[in-house]
Amino acid sequence: MAATLCGKLITRPAWLPLAQSVRHGSKAVTRHRKPVHFLKQKLLAVTEYIPPKPGPPPGALAPPPKREQEESGLMRILKRDIEAVFKDNTMVAVAQNNSATAEDMLLLKHRLKKHNINVKFFPNQVTRAFLPGSPYRNMETLFVGPTVLLVSKEPKVKQMLLALRGSPQIVLLGASIENTLLSRQGILAYSKLPAITTTQGELVGSLTLMTSQTASMLRHHPAHLSALLQQYIKQQSPEASAEQSPAQPPEAV
Amino acid sequence: MFASLRTAFSGLAISRTSGCSAGGALTHMKVLSVGLKTYDVPPDYSGVVMPEKPKLKFINKVPNFKKVKKEMKRLNDIRGPAKGADKFTEKGQYGIVALGGGFLHWGHIEMMRLTINRRMDPRTTYASWRINAPYKPITAKGLGKRMGGGKGAIDHYVSPVRTGRLVLEMGGKIELGDVEPVLKEVAKKLPFPAKVVSRESLAAMYKEHEERAANNQNPWTFETVAKGNMMGVRKVLSSFDLRNHGRYAGKFFYPNRV
Repeated sequence: MAATLCGKLITRPAWLPLAQSVRHGSKAVTRHRKPVHFLKQKLLAVTEYIPPKPGPPPGALAPPPKREQEESGLMRILKRDIEAVFKDNTMVAVAQNNSATAEDMLLLKHRLKKHNINVKFFPNQVTRAFLPGSPYRNMETLFVGPTVLLVSKEPKVKQMLLALRGSPQIVLLGASIENTLLSRQGILAYSKLPAITTTQGELVGSLTLMTSQTASMLRHHPAHLSALLQQYIKQQSPEASAEQSPAQPPEAV
Repeated sequence: MFASLRTAFSGLAISRTSGCSAGGALTHMKVLSVGLKTYDVPPDYSGVVMPEKPKLKFINKVPNFKKVKKEMKRLNDIRGPAKGADKFTEKGQYGIVALGGGFLHWGHIEMMRLTINRRMDPRTTYASWRINAPYKPITAKGLGKRMGGGKGAIDHYVSPVRTGRLVLEMGGKIELGDVEPVLKEVAKKLPFPAKVVSRESLAAMYKEHEERAANNQNPWTFETVAKGNMMGVRKVLSSFDLRNHGRYAGKFFYPNRV
């Protein structure tokens, strides 16, 4: 009997406790942190929040979208002004303003004003907005840092260079003169050119010289003329050319 | 020729005299080119209606009960998340939100009322309570009294506050920066952790919690484990834990849990 009981007890697969603890609501103390049951501690540790892996940093995949801001009224006015400056003036020179003092700038303005050359200041923001859409878009590289514009209706390059010699803070970078983009060297070369009337005169002189020489030659004695022509034919004939240049191989006919 | 020479000399003379008279200040002044500045649009306060009495009202220290009755502790009324007054009213814009449970005494309430009423501008700002007046009696035995002899007499009254409840709110023709210092000063003196919030930041707080719950990379959440009674864990969990997923323990609040 006892043996059978023992055997039954040992072979039993599961065992239920005879007494189970019952939780009472009044034990739910809330004024201080209760010591947490070990099983609950484990549960809390296992179920911690795990954030998602951070993706690529913003801007790594695509460039940031450009902020589309409404153009301010001042910006529009300045753009209109710079457009008028480029339209009305044949000479627009760009110079770097290398920390010129107010007095220096005043003197320079005074010297330039004598030759009707004006000094204009525009923010680079404005020039960068205006230039790309205009025929002067190649000048955009000149507008870096503090720049000033020296503008005049006639291309008075020599006077401008003379005035700028007195103020080393203003460094000439380039210019658009009569719709031609010139570098600093180009401006210097342009200043050394003679006036257009003298060039035209020289051209006309050289052209008339040749015609007058021909006319005077025709007026000589006919014998002299025929001798000259004979000599010319002699020089142009192939024998003469062969005699003159024996080193050359004969032509294959 | 002479005229040009004269002008050149006169120009030199003028420049020299001007330089001397202006002194050093002008010579060192920089020529500044024109810049652009854009201003923000000021906020629109056209919809703000000021109440007749914009200040915080006085709150009675003792409720006007017909018959005073001693109560049990009933700690349940500071336990868990708030069951009301956790959203702004239509007029409120900025406020103090409780990040834990606790009892507000009349002294706390007076401190808030006096500080805020002193510091706010009643022409542009209004403030209102979101808590009830102290109604819960707390008993205490006299100092040096022997234990026993039954429950003590009612000592004072408190107003219980649960996590997430707004204590007070402010509004008017103001921005958060105008009232934040005074609200912060008040919030740190309260008997529970509290934070200054605006209408937007409170909504953002709730939204962030929702997003965290949605994007949690941990496959094991408190809810699934507790519902499935995995490894018999329900043995150590109460129904309070089943509801709140371990975010609250008594009056304490764990904002980082999901």
